[in-house]
Amino acid sequence: MIDTIEKEENIISEEEAAQYDRQIRLWGLDAQKRLRGSRVLLVGLRGLGAEVAKNLILAGVKGLTLLDHEQVTEESRRAQFLIPVDADGQNQAQASLERAQLLNPMVEVKADTDAVGSKPDDFFFQFDAVCLTRCSKDLMVRVDQLCASRNIKVFCGDVFGYHGYMFSDLGQEHHYVEEKPKVVKGSNEANDGPEAKKPKVDPNETTMVKKTVSFCSFKAALEVDWTNEKAKNNLKRIPVDYFLLQVLLKFRTDKGRDPQPDSFAEDSQLLLQIRDDVLETMGLSSELLPNTFVSYCFSEMAPVCAVVGGVLGQELVKALSQRDAPHRNFFFFDGLKGSGVVDYFGSK
Amino acid sequence: MNQPTMAQLVGPLRKELADSLSSCRVLVVGAGGIGCELLKNLVLAGFKNIEVIDLDTIDVSNLNRQFLFQKKHVGKSKAQVAKESVLRFCPSANITAYHDSIMNPDYNVEFFRNFQLVMNALDNRAARNHVNRMCLAADIPLIESGTAGYLGQVTVIKKGQTECYECQPKPTQKTFPGCTIRNTPSEPIHCIVWAKYLFNQLFGEEDADQEVSPDTADPEAAWNPADAAARATASDQDGDIKRVSTKEWARSTGYDPVKLFNKLFKDDIMYLLTMDKLWKKRKAPLPLDWTEIQQIESSQEEACGTGLKDQHVLGVQGYAQLFRRSVETLRSQLIEKGEGAELVWDKDDPPAMDFVTAAANLRMNVFSMNMKSRFDVKSMAGNIIPAIATTNAVIAGLIVLEALKILNSDFDQCRTVNLRCYSFDTLKPELHHVLSYLTYLCICFSHLV
Repeated sequence: MIDTIEKEENIISEEEAAQYDRQIRLWGLDAQKRLRGSRVLLVGLRGLGAEVAKNLILAGVKGLTLLDHEQVTEESRRAQFLIPVDADGQNQAQASLERAQLLNPMVEVKADTDAVGSKPDDFFFQFDAVCLTRCSKDLMVRVDQLCASRNIKVFCGDVFGYHGYMFSDLGQEHHYVEEKPKVVKGSNEANDGPEAKKPKVDPNETTMVKKTVSFCSFKAALEVDWTNEKAKNNLKRIPVDYFLLQVLLKFRTDKGRDPQPDSFAEDSQLLLQIRDDVLETMGLSSELLPNTFVSYCFSEMAPVCAVVGGVLGQELVKALSQRDAPHRNFFFFDGLKGSGVVDYFGSK
Repeated sequence: MNQPTMAQLVGPLRKELADSLSSCRVLVVGAGGIGCELLKNLVLAGFKNIEVIDLDTIDVSNLNRQFLFQKKHVGKSKAQVAKESVLRFCPSANITAYHDSIMNPDYNVEFFRNFQLVMNALDNRAARNHVNRMCLAADIPLIESGTAGYLGQVTVIKKGQTECYECQPKPTQKTFPGCTIRNTPSEPIHCIVWAKYLFNQLFGEEDADQEVSPDTADPEAAWNPADAAARATASDQDGDIKRVSTKEWARSTGYDPVKLFNKLFKDDIMYLLTMDKLWKKRKAPLPLDWTEIQQIESSQEEACGTGLKDQHVLGVQGYAQLFRRSVETLRSQLIEKGEGAELVWDKDDPPAMDFVTAAANLRMNVFSMNMKSRFDVKSMAGNIIPAIATTNAVIAGLIVLEALKILNSDFDQCRTVNLRCYSFDTLKPELHHVLSYLTYLCICFSHLV
């Protein structure tokens, strides 16, 4: 991946320095250069996808490919801010391209109108990170398995009404650095000896500490065994959103789409049914996910897309720049409560 | 919350909520980092009547996060361009933009009463205090927010139900004692503050609280109280420090950079050395001499290499040259402006920034501190707060979620949400019932307040 920086990419231009000034002051020049060398694939250009696209383009990645096979509808156009008002009927990725590019001319933004499921394995190998939205569980499992072995960072995310999640698989060995304050040896000011006349060390000096962390696959994360005693005892502390996600992914697989406001009656019935099935298969009670959930998982709430898209975007930036501790491995956001939780599911 | 019955969803929302969104009027104060994200979220969520105000114009350093603006908009009004950009993806929105300060008396209580909700997207305490009071007076709910780096916060303020913005004392801007700045600096920031004072004393508006010459009345310098008084009198007679203002003295030399250099970094330092009690437990400063510095071999000015030009730390000779060049440029600026002219320090004015960089570093060198790059000096001198798109995106999303609760009249559901490196801390509602009115804890960031 970005273990070595290409020689010609070592120089940062004046234009970049001026535009990226406020973020270079936060994450440093090294991180900015790594971002500048990264290519990312973003699948799905609805509300969440548009937010992630904006965040990555503003951050200054080398290239971003927008992939979406669906067509713009009135509903999909109203959900995001990149598609022009007269674009109904066009391909969603294509329609988003122009405004996405205008966000930052220094990034190479491309549109791909194919269905991600139809792409051969080696299509994914040209990227440093892949971000999947609106994909079926099987597809996410496949792409994750394919990419993780090649040290390509994999992210999944979706927004269902007021709820949203993000998952990441950064591989078996993800290396990163953290900036820590330099430890200053205690100075003894009462001492009149020569030491007291030494110049004071700047308390703001920092040092970079290297770390490594491992991630499990998406498959392993979703197939946690809840039937053993230990898991059952921990149940109270588990965010309910994890089970909600399982239900919604099953709905997506069965119906080939997400719950739609137009079919509220039919879809809410099906959601309750799926909830019962999924929890029963896991050996858990339906009470874990009360009926009220159905009212709040339709369509995409714009502010929830902004929150999840912001977190997802920043996790991508961290992973590509190899700086700062990544969230491991799920982030769940409940827009009703305004609460966000990071939790780990899968083999430790 | 009430359960929506069948076929009463408008997108993800209950019909009553969707209707009240499209009819209500909201005010957004600020069209910068949070403001751009907020405007976008508001229209996508279904808000139709939005007024936005911002006194600022667009700068290139805004473009990494204020996504409604492009390079071609640099110099234009933020509020105006924000409105135009939003209308492009939501032409049916009814947006009014004001390129103005919210503290302008035109925006009186009556003005505020036009709105069902006010949302701040500000970056300074004065404006926040002002809007807080206007919203209390007009009895309109206010959503306050702020971000810095990876951190952020959202708070709801409603008269009679929550604390207001000014209920809790906020930390004040850090200041340093005069003698630290003038006599015994121990950190780079002290030297940077000194250099900014020096700029004002030489080129700008002179301020009695911004003296740069050695402080003979420093209590630490006196072996006994009588001694301090004697020193103070002596220097008056001496005349080289107190009697003539720094600006007058500089003018009398024609702003000669070499004379300035020797006075500030040699003569004044030698004077400080005579105040020997100060140096009993501190490392004594080492004076610089212009001529001696010129003898030093041209410092190892590396080729630009892989870093930002601004991030290089020069040697003493380099900063001496920078000092001379910037003094000469600023001198010309003064002459151009004419009689009685004063310059105002601006971090984005290159010679002004060069001057502070040079002067601060020379002083750091005198006091045996590691020198700093222009990049770092600019951060400290210019109070630059690092900022990214994603933090603002998250906070703006949370603001709109709080707005929806307010419109739903769910005040008891309102939260203060604190964002710490993307783990969210949400305060429990039980706290609210303990007190007679709702209170929220705030984590105070000095730059947010």
